Amino acid sequence: MSARPPGPIRWIRERLNIDPLIEFASHKQVPEWRGSFWYYFGGVSLFLFIVQVASGILLLMYYQPGEKTAYESVRFIVVKVKFGWLVRSIHSWAANLFILSVFIHMFSVYFTKAFRRPRELTWYSGFLLLALAFGFGFSGYLLPWNTLAYFATKVGTTIVAVLPVVGGPIMELLRAGKDVTTATLTRFYGLHVAILPAAFTLILGLHMMLIQTQGMHEPDTWPEGKRRYMPFFPNFILRDLLLWLIVLNILAILAVWFPWELGSKADPFGAAPQGIKPEWYFLFMYQGLKYFPAKLAGVDGEIVGIVLFGLAGLLWFLVPVWDARTPRGARNRFVNYVGVTVVLFIIVMTTLGLR
Amino acid sequence: MRRATFAALALGATLAWTCGAAAADPAPGGALAESTGTRAAAAAPGQSAVDQCLACHREQDSPEALAYANDIHAARGVSCADCHGGDSRSDDQDIAMSRARGYIGVPTKEQIPRVCGRCHGPGHDAFKTRFKLDDVLTAYGGSTHAHALESNSKGPQCVSCHGVHSIARVADARSPVHPSHVIDTCAKCHSDAAYMRDFDPALPVDQRDKYRTSIHGKRHAAGDLKVATCVSCHSNHRVLQVKDPRSPVYPTHVPETCAHCHADARTMAGYGIPTTQYAEFRESVHGKALLKRSDLNAPACNSCHGNHGAAPPGASSVIAVCGQCHQSNEELYDQSVHRGVFASKKLPGCVVCHSNHAVAPATDKLVSFDAPSPCARCHRNDGTDRTAPEIVRMRGLLDSLTVGQASALAALSHAENLGMDVTDARYSLKDVNQSVVQSRVAIHSFRVARLEEAARPGITIVAQARRAGEEAVHEYKFRREGLAVSTLIVTFLAVLLWLKIREIERRQKRENS
Repeated sequence: MSARPPGPIRWIRERLNIDPLIEFASHKQVPEWRGSFWYYFGGVSLFLFIVQVASGILLLMYYQPGEKTAYESVRFIVVKVKFGWLVRSIHSWAANLFILSVFIHMFSVYFTKAFRRPRELTWYSGFLLLALAFGFGFSGYLLPWNTLAYFATKVGTTIVAVLPVVGGPIMELLRAGKDVTTATLTRFYGLHVAILPAAFTLILGLHMMLIQTQGMHEPDTWPEGKRRYMPFFPNFILRDLLLWLIVLNILAILAVWFPWELGSKADPFGAAPQGIKPEWYFLFMYQGLKYFPAKLAGVDGEIVGIVLFGLAGLLWFLVPVWDARTPRGARNRFVNYVGVTVVLFIIVMTTLGLR
Repeated sequence: MRRATFAALALGATLAWTCGAAAADPAPGGALAESTGTRAAAAAPGQSAVDQCLACHREQDSPEALAYANDIHAARGVSCADCHGGDSRSDDQDIAMSRARGYIGVPTKEQIPRVCGRCHGPGHDAFKTRFKLDDVLTAYGGSTHAHALESNSKGPQCVSCHGVHSIARVADARSPVHPSHVIDTCAKCHSDAAYMRDFDPALPVDQRDKYRTSIHGKRHAAGDLKVATCVSCHSNHRVLQVKDPRSPVYPTHVPETCAHCHADARTMAGYGIPTTQYAEFRESVHGKALLKRSDLNAPACNSCHGNHGAAPPGASSVIAVCGQCHQSNEELYDQSVHRGVFASKKLPGCVVCHSNHAVAPATDKLVSFDAPSPCARCHRNDGTDRTAPEIVRMRGLLDSLTVGQASALAALSHAENLGMDVTDARYSLKDVNQSVVQSRVAIHSFRVARLEEAARPGITIVAQARRAGEEAVHEYKFRREGLAVSTLIVTFLAVLLWLKIREIERRQKRENS
């Protein structure tokens, strides 16, 4: 005699046909091996995205884009609105933890070769989600219209402008004009609260559908006799939930003990503060560009740097294509070497940039 | 007309006395460059050593030539040709007054400073060294008088003050610039409204009249020539406008100019007044503002004592003097009980509490019974003085503002150190300063109700700011406590979940085995 399902599930079951879903979840297996821990970072990223959406919606109720209202409204949220400080701080911290979690998730997928056939589309969609996460960070950073954000956006958008032919138009497209103004602010606001969430939700839906339908990636070399699995439901889901609770605690501690500073209001006519830097997740590129010489083979060093970073990004995106052993599922140390080099480069450049 | 021409000629002759340096020190004007006066050259063989100009003009009873006998320049051997050019050794008029010999006749007014400057200007020669002649031409050249002469030929030059043909040393009582005459000499122009209109229509012309009412003027009239005259303050040759920062009577220089005499015990000996005013003023709130911060709104000596009519303000006029700047204080004091009491005791109003030259920054400590508070001089806080409670109350109100402001700031700083945003409250405290200023003015009414009216808005803001600081600290604690509670709940849930997972996995293991 099978156990009677709990009330809410029974209630839903009577109205919706969720049996196939339950059937699917109860039969889905998650490989259990020494790399299983990394599977959870996909879930953690999802959790942080949900936190972002929830806290973002709350902020949206008070935030007013505009040169004369953006900073003031964020200040109002932080100072006057009940728990406004907490919501804003959580939104800011969750954004950074989200990027960190996505990075970890991406590298774990890369090093476990989870991008190989038949999961290429999952990798591509994941990469696009990372790009959109960068877009979220870049656009959201400007919204409080404080000094650091203003000048960091100015520097960030200027870098693009060095590209020949397309650089100028791209910069103007980003800025909604020649300079960072209130038009840039409203453009970034539109991107941050409408366009990016819509695009992100769509791609996230595809990404998750692919994961669920294809199942978790199993290690390439996994002896038949040692293979172990755990049920996706409830084991994996509950473990996921446990990690979410831990992350929630970390997030709360960070938000309360290290509230995200608002700083001073941006003054477009004021001097840029010394040592202006982009957010930490852009720092490895920003710092890397500094090491390019002024001229390389007669070409502007910065242009060469941006093109090289672009090419590196493209190669990273296309790893399922150039990983020659993908079809065979064989070991490929070269892929590992490339990955380790990239990780070391990011760590070293970020550390240098933070100093 | 003839007389005027002759007078001008005579004037030129006197000035020519100073031209002797032409040979050694070429003058800027071409005609002035040539001269064969006795200062310039010794008599050549066959020429007369007698000043033929003087001899001839004396024969004609020329007043200028006759007057020149008493001129200091004549005594120093300066000939007519030294100023007027020509050849004073020749008895032939055509030669003596020949343009070829550098004769210029009567120097124009513009020429006069240069003519005098040959001897009284820059450079050195034996004549100047012998008679210790200073370079006054350079000093005059930078003066407002020289500037006036450049723009208008009626402007003052050497002879305007020193006269002509009967010029005497400054120390000589006959000199128009002798201390006994210098007031009238300056007033010749400066009391002539019609004349002054051409140069500075806004400049008052009553300086001499005011001077006569001053202590300086009265003593001067009584024959005391040690007292200050025009040149004591304005200098003599390098007279500058008051608004010129280089002028000794520019506001920031006035104290030092006055101190030149008033801080000199030797000069002031016999007058029976102290010589500490300058030292006290320098350390006073007024002195620091004027001398250290160059705040021209701060008073200098003349702001209280007057300048040309300088005199110490009497006990009855001190209020009006201070009231020039401290109008609100004056108005309140005038209506206060102290006005009548101080007047009846001939006490000098503001000075009783604030001193005169050594005015210190007014702090709330002035309102107290502790020495050196001025209140304690008349009031006792021993139960016998019915106004004592009011003084205590007034001090309490002032403290509520200043001490209260400090305590509110401390509360806000504490909150800020905890990372709380109290910008609005901190900003609101700026308005307290306004209340403090108004209260410190209102204290001059010596009425509790009036002071309370001024202090109340500030006290309210202080209370609100302090409360905001305390609430922020409370909010900070609430956040920490809230975090602790929520962390505990989440951790508890996590533990429960972990136990549930273990239970499920154990059950699954049992079922599988």
